Amino acid sequence: MTGVELTTGGAAAILFGGFFLLIVLRVPVAFALGLSCLPILVIEPRLSPMTLFNETFKAYNSFILLAVPFFLLTANLMNIGGISDRLVRLSRTMVGHFPGSLAQINVVLSVFFAGISGSSTADAASQGKLFIDAQVKEGYGLSFSIAITAVSAVLAVIIPPSILMVVWGGVISTSIGALYLAGILPGLLIAGAQMATVHAYAKFYKYPVYPRSTLKEFLVAGAQSIPALLTPVIIVGGILLGWFTPTESAAVAVIYAAVLSMLVYREMDRKKLVHALSETGKLSAIALFCVGTASVFGWLLAYYQMPRLLLDNVTSWGMGITEVGFFIAFAFLVVGCFLDAIPAIIILGTTLQPLAESVHMHPVQFAIIGIISLAFGLVTPPYGLCLMISCAVAKVPLRFALKDTMIMLVPMMVVLAACIIWPEIPLFLPRLISPEFLK
Amino acid sequence: MKRLLTWFYRFLTWLMIATVAILVVPVTLQVVSRYTDLIPAYIWTEELARFMFIWMVMLGAMIGVREGTHFEVDVWPALGERANASLRIVSQALVLVFALVFVWWGIEFTRFGWEQVSEIAELPMWTIFIAWPLAGVAWVLFLGEHFLANIRILRSSTA
Repeated sequence: MTGVELTTGGAAAILFGGFFLLIVLRVPVAFALGLSCLPILVIEPRLSPMTLFNETFKAYNSFILLAVPFFLLTANLMNIGGISDRLVRLSRTMVGHFPGSLAQINVVLSVFFAGISGSSTADAASQGKLFIDAQVKEGYGLSFSIAITAVSAVLAVIIPPSILMVVWGGVISTSIGALYLAGILPGLLIAGAQMATVHAYAKFYKYPVYPRSTLKEFLVAGAQSIPALLTPVIIVGGILLGWFTPTESAAVAVIYAAVLSMLVYREMDRKKLVHALSETGKLSAIALFCVGTASVFGWLLAYYQMPRLLLDNVTSWGMGITEVGFFIAFAFLVVGCFLDAIPAIIILGTTLQPLAESVHMHPVQFAIIGIISLAFGLVTPPYGLCLMISCAVAKVPLRFALKDTMIMLVPMMVVLAACIIWPEIPLFLPRLISPEFLK
Repeated sequence: MKRLLTWFYRFLTWLMIATVAILVVPVTLQVVSRYTDLIPAYIWTEELARFMFIWMVMLGAMIGVREGTHFEVDVWPALGERANASLRIVSQALVLVFALVFVWWGIEFTRFGWEQVSEIAELPMWTIFIAWPLAGVAWVLFLGEHFLANIRILRSSTA
């Protein structure tokens, strides 16, 4: 299975050169990936443009990816159904008395939201509307407000459920249940790092502080939020107990969110429902269409045996497991600057897997390193979706909030490094709760 | 023509909304049938869900071109209106190439599936494959609309 007309180097030049040229010309990423494959499909006598159709069809014909629209729909239903408001109240009673109150609430709400939805972009969009204006009115810097909204949104794909973990588990055959458990600790550590950053900012710029809430207020807000907070328990628990597959659990979450919004919190009407369905379809289709063309791109990389070539090269450097971990994180961080996370998993995850295996890195740790790095890619320019969304909500160009975002990324990077150096951090919970998933 | 395209776009949007709404049904049936005896365990639910999903992705991808929402990377500094319109024309011409590929080979792809039926529900496969050439046609139409709008911008600012 190698090329006749083209050498590996020639094919790589066409694929990567074509892709970068096209994205500079502002061709949408999904089309740029497909277009850069075309010349090879035409030149190579054993291939034809039909490969484009077969591979995209195979990519979409996947029961696992179905979880993506379900996760988005759950998030959208929760937003229109008044569930977010209740979670805001709960967060307020928990961290409202810390310095930088509203920004702390922003981070804590992201943690809750991350447990309900698996989509960072949904989180950035809804919290952008909720917090950015409100924070600026209370005297927080605009750039700080945008940055903290964007960086806290990345938690949604690290704390279970997570779209990226479902895709990773499907593409690289890793237990999704184990990935979910493995994401909890790193996710909470990153949230902690963000709260510390907010604390430092708040002290430095003298941001406002709310009065401490009473225990009663906390209990009332907590009680009202219990139905919403049960969502992650249903999703993660249902998978761990073997009740449903990950896709089914996502569908169950949709039904649960719909029931909560319609019957319990009663803030949803038909117009809002149609809007939620339409937004879900549009966003998930755009993200998933890219998965198809990325699959063709990845398929061609494999056809020209680039993963093996890379492995041969990199193994000759004689790196240990920690160095390989940093190498993997670096590769994902760089690619995450230019690509959406799902196509990045398809192209880079499969390429780096043999390397991770060659140093006996645990597949779950490999996945968590990749997913955290790609999550950070959601706020790194030029293609950082969460940062783009937050900036769009505030109607400023992306570079406006860049400095504060980069400052906030530093403590988050420390957590990533910790997950690389100490595999126990991601592996602790899966080992404790369900060691059978790690086999 | 403009009205016809708007009508076509609304039609596609409604179809997509329908696919999202229906998508939940077969997957839920699958779970319900496993744990209760209310309905028999249909084996076509998984396949039906996948096929609705493919249509949702393709319909959303068609709509995305009209709305201009397909994600792009912006490496340029803030451009003037004219420069912006020129760059759009170039990038959309490249997308047009891709759209034409989808139309041309998409028809062959559909023909290839003409005799095939799906493994479980025995649905004719062309009902799925036809989404590809249809996407190509929709893109060509929507790109044409964008192209005319950009030309108008170039003309108005020179005058």
